[in-house]
Amino acid sequence: MTRQAFLDRLRAGLRGLPTSAINDIVADYQAHFAEGVAAGRTEAEIAAALGEPDRVIRELRAEAGLKRWEEERNPSAAANAVLAVLGLGAIDVLVLLPILLPIAGVLFGLLVAAAACLGVGAVFFAAGPFFVHGAPVAAIILAGLGLISTGTCIGCLSSAASIAFVNGLVWYGRLHITILKPALQPKEIVA
Amino acid sequence: MVEAVQVQLKKGVLELCVLALLSRGDAYAYDIASRLAKGIGMGEGTIYPLMRRMQTDGLVETYLVESTSGPPRKYYKLTDRGCESFSSQKSEWADFSAAVNDILGGAQ
Repeated sequence: MTRQAFLDRLRAGLRGLPTSAINDIVADYQAHFAEGVAAGRTEAEIAAALGEPDRVIRELRAEAGLKRWEEERNPSAAANAVLAVLGLGAIDVLVLLPILLPIAGVLFGLLVAAAACLGVGAVFFAAGPFFVHGAPVAAIILAGLGLISTGTCIGCLSSAASIAFVNGLVWYGRLHITILKPALQPKEIVA
Repeated sequence: MVEAVQVQLKKGVLELCVLALLSRGDAYAYDIASRLAKGIGMGEGTIYPLMRRMQTDGLVETYLVESTSGPPRKYYKLTDRGCESFSSQKSEWADFSAAVNDILGGAQ
């Protein structure tokens, strides 16, 4: 593979990352080729020693995904980090799915329950006295408040649990990050 | 868990090797990559993701140096945190390898 082919594949594979990050990464590999050629190696030799661009891309994307999750804790960053880690093949999806899916399902269920408690509580609190008859107004309003605080509580607890869950996945993925693999299998077949 | 420990150990060793090279003097990535490839058979391409991670973790920082041949080179240098990490990882490695050698020596 030539320098240009390697860099083109790298750039194409990194599409979607911030432009500055892509330029930075591509510049690193450009410099690597320049140094290698200056040291008397051919472009094909250098590309072969670098390994498959696809593997390099997976590692770089995973690193960028994990970094984003560390910087911003939101659902899209979480999804990104989890996908990046899965993309590494670091986590055996088939083995982990039976464990991951129920946990994710329970967390999602709790979030929905929290939202429902909040909604019903708000309705009771605001409009309960008008459509519920035969109970003291104070009791209905208090019941509404109770539902709202239950919803908030469940919501907070399950958000905390979700963050811990993604952090755990990321930690596990980092342990397995494929930086190791080339050390174990230095002679990778290069197309 | 045993596998996780093994994986962490090997990953830690790669990072330890880079920290050790940099503790002897600043270096640019091509230099680090070719020395590690020669020394422990590490794929050259993997140095870049590793260096980016170490930079994210605050273990190394970079500066540019004009080169006589071609564009300026990006040099990596250890931060204070990198130095601390190196000395603690180095002593952990020494303890660990001594313990393993002990066991291997006793099992002839």
